Amino acid sequence: MEKDELKKIIYELVEKSMGKKKLKQSDILKKVSADHGVDKSEVKAALRELMDAGELIFTYFGGSFVEIPPKE
Amino acid sequence: MSMKHQTPLLDELEKGPFPSFVKEIKRAAEHSDYAQDLLGLLELSYKEKVTHWKHGGIVGVRGYGAGVIGRYSDVPDQFPGVAHFHTVRVNQPSGFFYTTKALREICDIWDKYGSGLTNMHGSTGDIILLGTKTENLEPIFAELSSRDWDLGGSGSAVRTPSCCLGAARCEWANIDTMSITNEITQHYQDEMHRPAFPYKFKFKVAGCAVDCIASIARADMSIIGTWRGDIQIDQNEVKNYAQSGMDIQKEIVDMCPTECISWDGSELKINNEDCNRCMHCIAKMTKALRPGSEKGATILLGSKAPIVTGALMSWVIVPFMKMEPPYDELFDLVDRIWEWWDEHGKNRERVGELIERLSFTRFLKDVGLDPQPAMVKEPRRDPFFFWSEEDVAK
Amino acid sequence: MSELPQRQTDIGPPHYEQFLPPVIKKNYGKWKYHEQLGPGHMVHVAESGDKVWTVRVASPRLLSTDTIKDICDIADAHCDGHLRFTTRNNIEFMVDDESKVEPLMKELTEKGFMIGGIGPRISNVVHTQGWVHCHSAATDASGLVKALMDDLGEYFTTKSLPNRVRLAVACCVNMCGAVHCSDIALVGVHKTPPRIEHEKIKNLCEIPSTIASCPTSAISPDPQKKSVKIKIEKCMYCGNCYSVCPAMPIADPKNDGIAIVIGGKVSNLRSNPKFSKLAVPWLPNTPPRWTETVAAVRKILETYAAGAKKHERVGEWVERIGWEKFFKVTGLEFTLQHVDDFTFARETWRMAATFKW
Repeated sequence: MEKDELKKIIYELVEKSMGKKKLKQSDILKKVSADHGVDKSEVKAALRELMDAGELIFTYFGGSFVEIPPKE
Repeated sequence: MSMKHQTPLLDELEKGPFPSFVKEIKRAAEHSDYAQDLLGLLELSYKEKVTHWKHGGIVGVRGYGAGVIGRYSDVPDQFPGVAHFHTVRVNQPSGFFYTTKALREICDIWDKYGSGLTNMHGSTGDIILLGTKTENLEPIFAELSSRDWDLGGSGSAVRTPSCCLGAARCEWANIDTMSITNEITQHYQDEMHRPAFPYKFKFKVAGCAVDCIASIARADMSIIGTWRGDIQIDQNEVKNYAQSGMDIQKEIVDMCPTECISWDGSELKINNEDCNRCMHCIAKMTKALRPGSEKGATILLGSKAPIVTGALMSWVIVPFMKMEPPYDELFDLVDRIWEWWDEHGKNRERVGELIERLSFTRFLKDVGLDPQPAMVKEPRRDPFFFWSEEDVAK
Repeated sequence: MSELPQRQTDIGPPHYEQFLPPVIKKNYGKWKYHEQLGPGHMVHVAESGDKVWTVRVASPRLLSTDTIKDICDIADAHCDGHLRFTTRNNIEFMVDDESKVEPLMKELTEKGFMIGGIGPRISNVVHTQGWVHCHSAATDASGLVKALMDDLGEYFTTKSLPNRVRLAVACCVNMCGAVHCSDIALVGVHKTPPRIEHEKIKNLCEIPSTIASCPTSAISPDPQKKSVKIKIEKCMYCGNCYSVCPAMPIADPKNDGIAIVIGGKVSNLRSNPKFSKLAVPWLPNTPPRWTETVAAVRKILETYAAGAKKHERVGEWVERIGWEKFFKVTGLEFTLQHVDDFTFARETWRMAATFKW
């Protein structure tokens, strides 16, 4: 799968679960890998690009989660 | 600069012989608005007997999910200088050795961008830079990382590994703690900076069973140096201890937990087969006794503080592992443990708690470790044990 | 603002080797033995015959950059620009020649540093952030340490004890310090359950993870309020729910206090590592000097010093004389709170007919 497509899938997954259930990095790797048959390391690389670009961020609340940054 | 707030309660703690943290905050307050308002806020806590810090928030440096602890005051209008007061965790060098040049460099960065207050060091081992604003985080990170410093761990990640000083200045070091710690830290940079675990994972490396780094109590994985073979004895030095007034019978022989030492007034004998390597005799007769020559480590797993279901100490999972670079055997074991924890662990569940929940036998089987008597204090007391398919007659 | 340098990621800490004093680097892994020369200095001797003298001083751990720079000045003047910190946050200055020891100690004393902490005595107190920086602190940590060490300072600088005594302070039961395995330790505790801020909980907290956070299953859903409720009789005030849900504050200035736990150790010497056990369940939180707590610690320490054999740690002494006798000789009250009713309770009950009157 193209990396951009993977990034879109990850972003939408995080977007959909916002406000319902906070996702951990490992939740995302497991789900996207299982649903789309891609290796976890590929998902991880795509997620990292989203993080480095600031489109997704890590948050902490009694555990570390992946979320969309709050709009200022 | 005069102090902005009256602090009669804190001023009381400037008195007395022990070095005063209040004096430290006041020194920083000479040139830092953060420290000025920290004094005011802290005085309020001393008066009201309650903390004035709120829960953490969403702050960090780009791409990392660790290394910065967000902190906000619940009385920002009263003390605007500490409205934001985030902590930056800087990964300490193994063994906590520094040159003054390196320390001054960190101080200069911190004076420019933060409160001028630090912890040398935090509980886990990092250099703690205590208190700055959100907008200063990226500049601090750029200044630090361009000078070869990186951030430590926080959140559900590998926490900054730490160790005793080991071979650097201790004759009891059975393993090169500083090298191992540095290698672990470098090997797991991604796992430190981008939290991916159910909860935190700490490594601590101790050179011997004296455990000056408290690894058995404070690390998910405790790596404790040990040896095989005979304790090396210098009989002349034993005699010197006797002549200089040590009661060898009472202080050494009678205090040996395995009763494997004898002393007839001229020769000290150790039945090494019965020795459990507790280190008492070696620590008390440092000139006369030395650990055996085949060195390695015992790997223990699982310790944590009492939250949530009670404190755990690490227990043995590998009785003896050779510890030589590139430490592949260790990394391979760690990877298998993490995979298992990632598969089964719940949010905020430490690896030790997971083993308690699913059972140690299941852990051993899944991770591929063979059971050995060294892993338990005693075998089970109850008659309720599992068999697998292949153990049962068809 | 001037332009920032290029950031780097995942480089890890600088390699330790560049920070080692030359005598340490030269004799790395080749040390033969060491001797304690006094309460605050010792010498390590290498196979090569080289020696390194170490002088240890106390630190409040919370240091200003100004003080760090003062420390650097001393290390520049005496130690060729090298120094280190210990795992208990002491500061150590090292020199490679005996003639350099006295001038170093003289300057440290003149500048008001407290030299000590080596051997059978109290070393620096491991502690947490407290009110200086923590959201879950039930008490302050730096202030408690200061009050304690002002009182017990002589056991750091001069007086010796049967063995080393490791003190620790944690400002809440999360115990970021090594309280659960220390000889004598203080921990900030709550006595009342968290309050539920129903109107805030919807926005701030995930209900399922809040419920899951409770170790005694005291929290259950309250669908009507779209919130949670607490079964008060099940709550043991750990505050774990507050860690995952800020709408459940537990701090209670009238009831938060200090518990004292004792008899823990991490070393394997003689006896196995031990957890600390409860000595005093609650003392009032009385800043800035915490006189009740300091007096209780002194009482325990002095009873240990009088009763223990040479080399016995606090926990080993208590196990030898028995806990029933510990309460007798210290005069501490034994209460219902001392009887364990949590996870490992059964292991702590006396399943024998042997005990002392």
